[in-house]
Amino acid sequence: MHKKDLRKAAGEKVLHTLSFLIFSITSAYCLVFPGLSGAQKLPVLENAGACMGCHASKDLAMVFKNKEKMSVFIAQGDFRKTAHGALSCTDCHQQVSLEAHPGRVVESRSVFAKESSGACRNCHSDSQLKAKANHAYVAEKTDAPLCTECHGAHNVMRIPQWKSSLRGKEYCLTCHRRNISKTFGSGEKLSLLIDPSNLASSAHNKHDCSDCHTEYTGDSHPVKTFAGGREHSIALSGICRKCHEGKFTLLKGSIHYNLSFQVGETLVSRGNPKAPVCTDCHGFHTVGPKAAYETVSGIPCRKCHEDIFRIYAKSVHGMARAKGEHKAPLCASCHFAHEINFTAMTDKIKGVCLGCHKGVEGLHKKWLPNTELHLSVIACAACHAPTSEKGIYLQLIDQKTGKPFTHGQILQLLGTTSEELSARLDTHGLGLDSYQLSYIIKQLNERGADAKVTYLGQMDVNKYSEAHQLSLKKNAIRECESCHSKGSKFFKRVTLAVIKTEGGMERYPVNPDVLTSIISTFSSRQFYVIGGTRIAFLDLAGIFVVFCGILLPIAHVTIRVFTAPLRKARKSEETGRGKSK
Amino acid sequence: MKKIFLHPLTVRIWHWINAVSFIVLIITGLQIRYREIPNLTKFKTAVDIHNLFGFILVLDFVLWLVYYVFTGKIKIYVPLNPKKFFIGALKQARYYGYGLFIGEGNPHHSTPDDKFNPLQQSAYFMIMLVLMPLQLISGVLLWDIRMFAGWIELLGGLKIVDIVHVIVFFFLFAFLFVHVYLTTLGTTPLEHIKAMFTGYEEIEER
Repeated sequence: MHKKDLRKAAGEKVLHTLSFLIFSITSAYCLVFPGLSGAQKLPVLENAGACMGCHASKDLAMVFKNKEKMSVFIAQGDFRKTAHGALSCTDCHQQVSLEAHPGRVVESRSVFAKESSGACRNCHSDSQLKAKANHAYVAEKTDAPLCTECHGAHNVMRIPQWKSSLRGKEYCLTCHRRNISKTFGSGEKLSLLIDPSNLASSAHNKHDCSDCHTEYTGDSHPVKTFAGGREHSIALSGICRKCHEGKFTLLKGSIHYNLSFQVGETLVSRGNPKAPVCTDCHGFHTVGPKAAYETVSGIPCRKCHEDIFRIYAKSVHGMARAKGEHKAPLCASCHFAHEINFTAMTDKIKGVCLGCHKGVEGLHKKWLPNTELHLSVIACAACHAPTSEKGIYLQLIDQKTGKPFTHGQILQLLGTTSEELSARLDTHGLGLDSYQLSYIIKQLNERGADAKVTYLGQMDVNKYSEAHQLSLKKNAIRECESCHSKGSKFFKRVTLAVIKTEGGMERYPVNPDVLTSIISTFSSRQFYVIGGTRIAFLDLAGIFVVFCGILLPIAHVTIRVFTAPLRKARKSEETGRGKSK
Repeated sequence: MKKIFLHPLTVRIWHWINAVSFIVLIITGLQIRYREIPNLTKFKTAVDIHNLFGFILVLDFVLWLVYYVFTGKIKIYVPLNPKKFFIGALKQARYYGYGLFIGEGNPHHSTPDDKFNPLQQSAYFMIMLVLMPLQLISGVLLWDIRMFAGWIELLGGLKIVDIVHVIVFFFLFAFLFVHVYLTTLGTTPLEHIKAMFTGYEEIEER
């Protein structure tokens, strides 16, 4: 032990001895000269004089076995104003006697608090504790906080007095700054502990609790039950709408909303049960200012999309952002914060790219023929994420409206179910073939009034996570041959993409042969890549025609060579006839 | 044998521009469509050259059309008398398939107003008035797909327009061999070719 600690321990021992001596002398003094004691002046604290002989000292402290230290100073004046002001010390501290005080050294402050809190039950019965529903809810819990944790030890106030002294969130925090929790029907546990420092640093720090939790007031604290944490989050996110209606409107059309919010009046979880609601991204009481989300560390999306974030972090955008380039996009820069939606087979992301990379069309025009066409049918990531796998996405388009047929429309027109359609579209397990592709169009044309159906093709990355691995401009694919040559690997994976009404995309694998088959000439007549998706039959027919063009002169010359003697003989005959004339 | 002035300067200029353009377009066309055959140029270069000579061919075709329409010579491409055309075609086919081998004379004797024999006439009619317009129009449409999207749609879609362009290309490519071969069937193997430079051709007297 260091000398300093030894000195400290010795000092504490002296202080204890002195305290005990003062306590003994004061007690004896009180017993011998009761008329002179403080207790006589203040009958409610009959023996307080003896106690306060020591506990009026602000320096007096209790040291536990674990070396924790606790002040045992009692502000006598304040105590008189408390709910327990009429009690004497020994009414609660019944175990304290002059003979044995301070008595044994307790293990720790928490053990001491637990032992001391037991004294409350001398007066406060079970029925009294359970009179209020929320108090009963807390008190009945096995891990219920100690009485003193909420009510204090020597500063216990009468409830009306206590309530009137607290303002706004302080009232709620009286309990909620404690380590209290709630258990859902599912067994999940929700901590009800609110860290005041989080509240102070949140964007909502000017608000009172009841601004959001409107049903909760000083007089009302309804007990709500939820099946699980998910239901609780969905319900509480509804609160945000009261102030953030604009954001809610944006959110309403988003893929997150469609997967997780309410349909009609019923709260349901569709599709991905982890699809976020307000609190999943913003937290409950830690709602940060907008700037907090504009940092790599502040991105809430990565909680669910960690795999994509890892790819993004290595991308040209992610690396630039990490280096402090604030113009480099984060998730919301491209996907937006609330109106997040399915981007496949749409121009949304392309619009975002072109929004920042202005003049990019002009730059492409310098080297890329048919620039507008290329930019319209090839996703930016297909070239600018050079290591990503690519594929061709065919889409059924109603030429009348120019809009793609949705999954629901197709099912309705064909009078089938999703499962039946999947089975019908891939009967051989090799993906849709040319006949099936043409058959679907025929059926849709027949049943969809006079809607002209065709397939439009686009090139995009196969896995959408790979769309995030954007590279430097110098690494982008710009060799025309990458696509415009037979056997290009980019045409090996073909998908019929059908957008679902509620968001997302239904993918039906297509046999890549449909791109080069004469049978699907009309069904996929809007998708053609020179050199890349050549029709095999046309090539054979062409070779035959050219071969005939070459063969004809060769055959004619050959016959001329063999018949040369005939012409020679005829010429000689004619010459001879001429001479004889 | 007598010498006649068969090919005016305008026709000769048109012809040789046409010939050079055809060869360049065939080579670059093959380079664009069949990257797996020996690479002479990069795809982009092939496309740029193909576009350039494509437009030269378009202008050349316009020159040809204006000249032949305004001089009235366009009729040499059109079989005005079906009966005469039919009989003449049979005679000409017999000549190419039999008479030529045994040393018979060509039944057709070219004159400035009747330059083509019936088989040539029908072939050039198809080439100049059907295949060439198809090829040039489809080529221009494919040159800027976005600009001509409406027209492409009207003609059946991108794939259809491209197929038309490719099919016509195969026929013109095949015909080129036949055409060059036929130029060697004059009074001497180089007579027709020389005539396309000088304008004068030696033909047999009737």
